[in-house]
Amino acid sequence: MRRVIKVAAIAMAGALTLAACGGDSDGGGASAGSSVSPASYKVGLAYDIGGRGDQSFNDAAARGLDQAQKEFNFEKKELEASAGETDAQKEERLRLLATGGYNPIIAVGFAYATALKAVSAEFPDTSFAIIDDASFTAANVANLVFAEEQGSFLVGAIAASASKTGNIGFIGGVNTPLLQKFEAGYTQGAKAVNADITVQVKYLTQPPDFTGFNDPAKGKTTAQGMIDNKADVVYAAAGGSGSGAFEAAKAAAGPWGIGVDSDQYKLPSLAKVKDIILTSMIKRVDVAVYQFVKSYNDGAPATGIQTFDLAKEGVGYSTSNPAVAEYTAKADEFKEKIISGEITVSAKP
Amino acid sequence: MTTTTPSVELSGITKRFPGVVANRDVNIKAQAGHVHAIVGENGAGKSTLMNILYGLLRPDEGTIHVDGREVSFASPSDAIAAGIGMVHQHFKLADNFTVLENVVLGAEPTRGGRLDFEAARQRITEISQRYGLEVETDALVEELGVGDRQRVEILKVLYRGARILILDEPTAVLVPQEVDELFDALRELKGEGLTVIFISHKLDEVLSVADEITVIRRGTTVTTVEDPRSVTARQLAELMVGSELPVPELRESTVQDRVMLTADGLTLTLPDGRTVLSDVTFSIRSGEILGIAGVEGNGQAELVEAVMGVRRPTSGTVHLGGEDVSHWSTRQRREAGLAYIPEDRTRSALLLEAPLWENRMLGHQTMAPNARGPLLNRGGARADTERIVREYDVRTPSIDVAASALSGGNQQKLIVGREMTGEPQVLVAAHPTRGVDVGAQAAIWEHIRNARAAGLAVLLISADLDELIGMSDRLTVIFRGQLVADFDPRQVTPQQLGSAMTGAGEAA
Amino acid sequence: MRRRFDLRSVLIALAAPVLAILFSVVVISVVLLAVGDNPFDVFSKMIEYGTQPRTEVLILNSATIYYFSAVAVAIGFKMNLFNIGVDGQYRLAAFAAAVVGGSINLPAPLHVLVILVTAVLVGAMWAGIAAVLRAYRGVSEVISTIMLNFIATGVIAYLLQPGRLAVEVQGSNNIGTEPIPPSGQVPGMAIIPGTESKVYGLAILAVLVGFGYWFLLNRTRFGFDLRATGMSESAAVSSGVDIKRMIVAAMLLSGAVAGLVGMPQLLGSSYSYSLDFPAGLGFTGIAIALLGRNNAVGIAFGALLWGFLDNSAQILDLEGVPKEIVTIMQGTIVLSVVIAYELVRRYRLREQQRLTGQATAEPTGIGPGADEREGAPA
Repeated sequence: MRRVIKVAAIAMAGALTLAACGGDSDGGGASAGSSVSPASYKVGLAYDIGGRGDQSFNDAAARGLDQAQKEFNFEKKELEASAGETDAQKEERLRLLATGGYNPIIAVGFAYATALKAVSAEFPDTSFAIIDDASFTAANVANLVFAEEQGSFLVGAIAASASKTGNIGFIGGVNTPLLQKFEAGYTQGAKAVNADITVQVKYLTQPPDFTGFNDPAKGKTTAQGMIDNKADVVYAAAGGSGSGAFEAAKAAAGPWGIGVDSDQYKLPSLAKVKDIILTSMIKRVDVAVYQFVKSYNDGAPATGIQTFDLAKEGVGYSTSNPAVAEYTAKADEFKEKIISGEITVSAKP
Repeated sequence: MTTTTPSVELSGITKRFPGVVANRDVNIKAQAGHVHAIVGENGAGKSTLMNILYGLLRPDEGTIHVDGREVSFASPSDAIAAGIGMVHQHFKLADNFTVLENVVLGAEPTRGGRLDFEAARQRITEISQRYGLEVETDALVEELGVGDRQRVEILKVLYRGARILILDEPTAVLVPQEVDELFDALRELKGEGLTVIFISHKLDEVLSVADEITVIRRGTTVTTVEDPRSVTARQLAELMVGSELPVPELRESTVQDRVMLTADGLTLTLPDGRTVLSDVTFSIRSGEILGIAGVEGNGQAELVEAVMGVRRPTSGTVHLGGEDVSHWSTRQRREAGLAYIPEDRTRSALLLEAPLWENRMLGHQTMAPNARGPLLNRGGARADTERIVREYDVRTPSIDVAASALSGGNQQKLIVGREMTGEPQVLVAAHPTRGVDVGAQAAIWEHIRNARAAGLAVLLISADLDELIGMSDRLTVIFRGQLVADFDPRQVTPQQLGSAMTGAGEAA
Repeated sequence: MRRRFDLRSVLIALAAPVLAILFSVVVISVVLLAVGDNPFDVFSKMIEYGTQPRTEVLILNSATIYYFSAVAVAIGFKMNLFNIGVDGQYRLAAFAAAVVGGSINLPAPLHVLVILVTAVLVGAMWAGIAAVLRAYRGVSEVISTIMLNFIATGVIAYLLQPGRLAVEVQGSNNIGTEPIPPSGQVPGMAIIPGTESKVYGLAILAVLVGFGYWFLLNRTRFGFDLRATGMSESAAVSSGVDIKRMIVAAMLLSGAVAGLVGMPQLLGSSYSYSLDFPAGLGFTGIAIALLGRNNAVGIAFGALLWGFLDNSAQILDLEGVPKEIVTIMQGTIVLSVVIAYELVRRYRLREQQRLTGQATAEPTGIGPGADEREGAPA
């Protein structure tokens, strides 16, 4: 049954594309969907600096794309930003994809906002999506944003429950409003459990220095400092720098670490320190990308602001470390309250 | 002794550089146990020849025999292996190493992979005693005087087993007493059967130490004098130049009454507490040349800098034409008519990479004909450079070549021409003829004499005692930052000056 | 004789960069072959894409920015000052200019002028700190400017916060300064036929700055003092140059030009300084200044070449060729240009020495060079 739906969906997508080109509407070719059939459309993806392999949210986007490709039949093209480039160059990257017949096109990161605004207007027949930005909307653009503060609230609550010292830490990769959302939710969640708790807050770098997302050494010393200051849970919202923070926690034997973006307990690269990763705040960039591609595949590309929050399972926390089990009841309780609106989590620290 | 195989024999050596022949058919035979001097003007081809012998350059034609065997050197290490060692004019020592470390540097004795300083120390002591080259092996080179440093250089060469020593202008940096010590050492060396090849253009010294003298002119060997007693310095010099020789001498006195430059109580104490100038007072009148003699490093450089305004003295004043200029900048002083021939031409007087006409502006970039308001007057500067090139006989294909392309003498002529332009009141000339050929030397002296006759006041600092004695109206000696003795140049001898310069003698 | 001499040196001067680029093409071809790409395809794709009208606009725009940056660096280089701080200087200057520009409202030309002057002053001031430290405290400008880059980053990060000097855009994760109203914007110029994309209006300013740089260096006393100091500090001192004043003046000038680096982007495109304002252009400037040999025209070519490489890198990514290849290409070009110029410099010196040797030999006619002279050129 499922296979039938899939075949139909692809056929429909193919038909739509053809229709857009003014071709015939006689889709539904029997062979569509089989593994040898030619790709029916091309998905373009423009990464922010770091690209595929950054162990962080570019990678999460890549995962979503990979998953979509496994299920749907399309060609893909991934381009990457360079350091120090201007909006004009980002614009050109998107434009190259659009003129190259890529549709849909996904821009990973808020830095593409200005560029996408211009390009989406130039190519009204192409579907676009942008991650982490809702500064503008257009009929052919989906704004995929996340309620990071909600997910962070839950891990904050877990951190406060797990802390014996009444002292926890937050490490942000780069001091941007986006990361401040993580900080805000985390602090609120912790205070909701223990109003007297101390939250140490540190950001590794300041923009335009974005190396804070990829500097394990800095993550390690910062976490070490927090642990020395009595923190016994450290939330590392710092991309690749998190591994350093976990090493510090592991070395100190006792403190917990909390991961970010994906379920870091399961990441092979962190296998050595996984036992101290209590939980991770999960930001489902992969889900957002997958769902966007799917919506296009299904013939109804998503547009407008798509907020991935707790209710939509766009954010959450991981339970793969058995140690977190004793705190999940409380966390789930908060989750219900946030979903029901009983608790509103502010995005500002 | 003269019939034995020569220790070094150069025959028919010719070396061409693109467009010029640096050496042509050079023939030299040097015997073991001899000091063989090679004399010639700057640019005559001595350095090229020695670089060939030391393996730095390969001859285009000709052969080299060492102890009767024909050799061919691809690099200095081949030459060293053949027993040839070179003591350069500019010392190549590491200041912050000890004598011992400097001597073994590059030929470190090892035992089981570790430095074996004890063995080295023994050998050095042995060598230095044998040849009378006494140095403290554990002293830091930076603490040594010039003469000691030279001994270290010689030790270094001997340590590597050299039997043939090339000394390139070894006396240029020494005072007379140190020269004597060096010559004693050279006599020890030849007594031990070593061959010394001694390059110089100081003919009195050559005559006193050499057993044979080869004269080089324009790249080729002019003659070899087998008995130095048979020639005079003057004859040698004329062989070198190929013509009559200039003499530094002043004619009648042109001293006028007007005092042009006065230094009063100039004292300079460095931040580290050393006093390098102490109460230096003198005045120079229009048409007068005041010569300052002294061993290098006794405050001459600092005195010149204080007069020029490059360095602020701790106390004391400078008056230029009656006006107190102590607080004026170098530029203001230059604009007021203070001309300057710095001691180190390539460092302080020229922009080596810049064309001649830009060098003509240097130091005069605010004055006509080089500037018009805040803008440069390129046309004016170029035209005036052409004039200087013509009047001062600067040999150059064009005023657009870089200063570094000129020979030292031609560079200096350009500098002198530049500084004499614009009717200067006072000229501060530090070593104005150092390292220039005889022809240029004569021309520079002549220009200074003419300017003196026209009323120029000159502060002359030089290491060439003949120049000082011949070109000064008055002479004074600087020692450890103080003016210690005044002499009448018509009566003083170089020996008397030398004593005063080393602080040994009293004023005559 | 002089004419031919000059013609030769012009040819030699051109030969160096051309040879350097050819050499780097060879090196890159080897690299491309090693990773399994056809060099000919790659180059032709880059050229094909790079000559499209829209890309030409992008190249010109990039080159405009690079030009300011490289001239700023070159002013320091001319005096042997290594202004690593162009990066911090332009970022701070652009930030301050964006704040000022967004908070005032003036008639168009005046508004732009105020913004530009702000940028120039802030850039100069930031460089001035390093200058004063170097001139009066002997602190190496390399170290102080690197530190000032970090401090600039910190200052901007502190001030670029909502409630301070930044405004939030609803729904955006970016923050920036208040946008500059149209009166403070510099419209682009549609000068490339075949595309609607516009070249930054401030490209004209870049040309003017280039001319000013050339004029200052080669036609003024100040420029002579500056070059003299760069060629030989001791000679400059003897000639009456006040080195401390020159250090301060040169750094201030360098910083002033650095202040303009961010202006084409700010006034021609983004109109606000936000988190994603391009960073690192100061370092690109160092490479381009080296490439252009600190020469006003050379830098222009260097900036255009760099712009071409940067922008045509996009097509490589799309064609599946790793675009890092362009970074390798840029590095190779800089390195080979530096080497080629050094070789040419030595060749020229030898040539001049040879000519001088002949000139010296000429008067007597019997000199060692006499017999060789006929075969020699010039």
